[in-house]
Amino acid sequence: MKSKSKMKMTVLFSLLLLSVILVANQAAAENIKLGFIADVSGIGATFFKSQKAGIELFIEEVNAKGGILGRKLELVVRDAQLKPDIGANMARELILSEKCDFLIGPTSSAVALAVTKVALEYKKIIYFHTSNAEALTTTDFQPYMFQVVPTTGIEGRGMAVALAGRQAKNYGYIGPDYAYGHDQYNAFVKKMAQLKPEAKIVETVWVKLGETNYSPFIPTLMAKNPEAVYSSFWGGGLSTFIKQAKPYGLFKKATFSGLFDLDLLRATGNDMPEGLVGYARCPFYAVDTPEMKAFVQKYYDKNKEYPADWAIMAYDGMIALAEAIKKAGTADSEKVVKVLDGLKFKSLRGDLFIRPEDHMANVGIYVGVTTKDAKYKDHLIMKDVVAIPADKVMLSVDEVKALRAGKK
Amino acid sequence: MNLEYLVFMTINGLSQGMLLFIIASGLSLVFGVLRVINFAHGSLYMIGAFLAFSISSLVSGGSIFNFLLLLLVVPPAIAILGFVLEIGLFRRVYRQEHLLQLLLTYALVLILDDLVRVVWGGNPRNVPRPEILAGSVDIFGLALPTYNVFIMFMGPVIALGLWWLLHRTRAGNLIRAAVTFPDTLGALGVNVSWVMTSTFMLGCWLAGLGGVLMAALANIDLGIGMEKIIESFAVVVIGGLGSIGGALLGSLIIGLGVTFFQLPFGRWALVFPYVIMALVLIWRPWGFFGKPER
Repeated sequence: MKSKSKMKMTVLFSLLLLSVILVANQAAAENIKLGFIADVSGIGATFFKSQKAGIELFIEEVNAKGGILGRKLELVVRDAQLKPDIGANMARELILSEKCDFLIGPTSSAVALAVTKVALEYKKIIYFHTSNAEALTTTDFQPYMFQVVPTTGIEGRGMAVALAGRQAKNYGYIGPDYAYGHDQYNAFVKKMAQLKPEAKIVETVWVKLGETNYSPFIPTLMAKNPEAVYSSFWGGGLSTFIKQAKPYGLFKKATFSGLFDLDLLRATGNDMPEGLVGYARCPFYAVDTPEMKAFVQKYYDKNKEYPADWAIMAYDGMIALAEAIKKAGTADSEKVVKVLDGLKFKSLRGDLFIRPEDHMANVGIYVGVTTKDAKYKDHLIMKDVVAIPADKVMLSVDEVKALRAGKK
Repeated sequence: MNLEYLVFMTINGLSQGMLLFIIASGLSLVFGVLRVINFAHGSLYMIGAFLAFSISSLVSGGSIFNFLLLLLVVPPAIAILGFVLEIGLFRRVYRQEHLLQLLLTYALVLILDDLVRVVWGGNPRNVPRPEILAGSVDIFGLALPTYNVFIMFMGPVIALGLWWLLHRTRAGNLIRAAVTFPDTLGALGVNVSWVMTSTFMLGCWLAGLGGVLMAALANIDLGIGMEKIIESFAVVVIGGLGSIGGALLGSLIIGLGVTFFQLPFGRWALVFPYVIMALVLIWRPWGFFGKPER
């Protein structure tokens, strides 16, 4: 008798549970699901925090207005752990088990190159906002992706434009010995040779990946007295390089430049020397659009800190994706992909469009000079910021086609 | 390259070599007495570095006293950890074959490295340099970081200290006797186990010291232990396993070599320590100051 009633209870309970799941599933089916393949931990942690905050702010705003096409947005996050194979598996899981409609890319370019293949396999749109290997839009291009972050090539060529204009003839380079560093360096050297044939690269120093003690390398970099130095170090590596190079007097002898995004400026704090020429992908304090102002205010109110470049670019990607969904009138990737070519959207950085041939948004970089600012007590920012527009530094369509033909 | 730059590069290279010496001498000392190559030495060095980070974030501020505190507290803490490891694990494998010793120390590398990951996470950390060491020293009009010069002077101090300890004290006599005639020493009524434990602790103390010095030199992360143990191993192979003088020579060859070879050879300078190691193994397998195995 006792066991019978227990049985009944179990059956009842299971039914209840099932119905809850059914209802939940139904609710979920109405949402547009965004699968974010993120690099959550390790060196990806700082980036992830900002990216997620940017995406979540966008989703909150859109959902408050009733969503897109009457459907709310929902974010699902998976950790790729900076590993391409894990990233690819997570992308599959997000598409197959979580039934995500769209994918959002990671921080690491290596993971991005693996994930973009999965997106093509299942014909789901993915956008890249932080990972920026130029190969994503050239040799490894596939039509179901678009990119709203300046590529390694745009960065290298952009810095050639910025540094060619300075009073310098002898240039030095120091960077990490892997694809990101080499891509930037090659783009930099090629553009510099076009713009300023008399310029000489007097020293190139490659530092093995993972090295944190730069002491053995700094004297070599300085030995031939370059007047300007370009570096592809980034994030924590760049921050510690600056701290280590300062007592060697590098910044007194040469104009030093690198990627001075907000997180780098915050991490280096007041150890950052003034007067360095750096670039950023999206410095919120230097972009004067009403959209940016409103965004910064909302972001600050919610997160109690200013938005780093990664938050802005992730947000810009969401603007483009939402615009494409509205234009296509559906969240079906197969149909949305048709409106991606040449899509115009109003980003925080101003009006942008997605170039049909390589799905690259026409984004440039922002170059400025480090300075103290009364408004930001704990870190420096850049002043006299000039935007180097995409049309000066993007690959031409012919170059893109040549690169793709070269691979086949 | 002019003469000023030569001096500049030499000092820079010496400071790199001295840091390496402090760590490698511990590895060599332990091998000399215990006849075990402790691959976990690099992990102990890494724990020292992260411990220094934790303590420095508690006592925040760039005063020299905070830094001295780190130098006084962290190395003994690593020595105590060494005490536990020696009593609990190493003691059991001294008479075993080399393969078993290798397995034990390698297992320890994996365990300790993961422990660091669990306790401190994967983010790169560092310790602020004390204010008086944060600036630079002028040498022939070229600036050199005061901190690197400080490390350069720490090396000889440690080397002299070790020499004094080994050659001028009773404890040193016992350690040296334990290297050559452990059985005789035991027969004379000396507690050899105790000599071994204290030598192991001294080795760990040196690893901890290296960790503190590194944490204020550059960023520390999960990879530094493995990187340093490989370099240290090259050092002791070149200098001779078990020889402190050999460790000093090996460290200076590698420190100066890596700095000087950067200029002509660029990234190929990376292979320099290992080329030297290979040459030494061919020409004199027991190293410059080592003795052939009996």
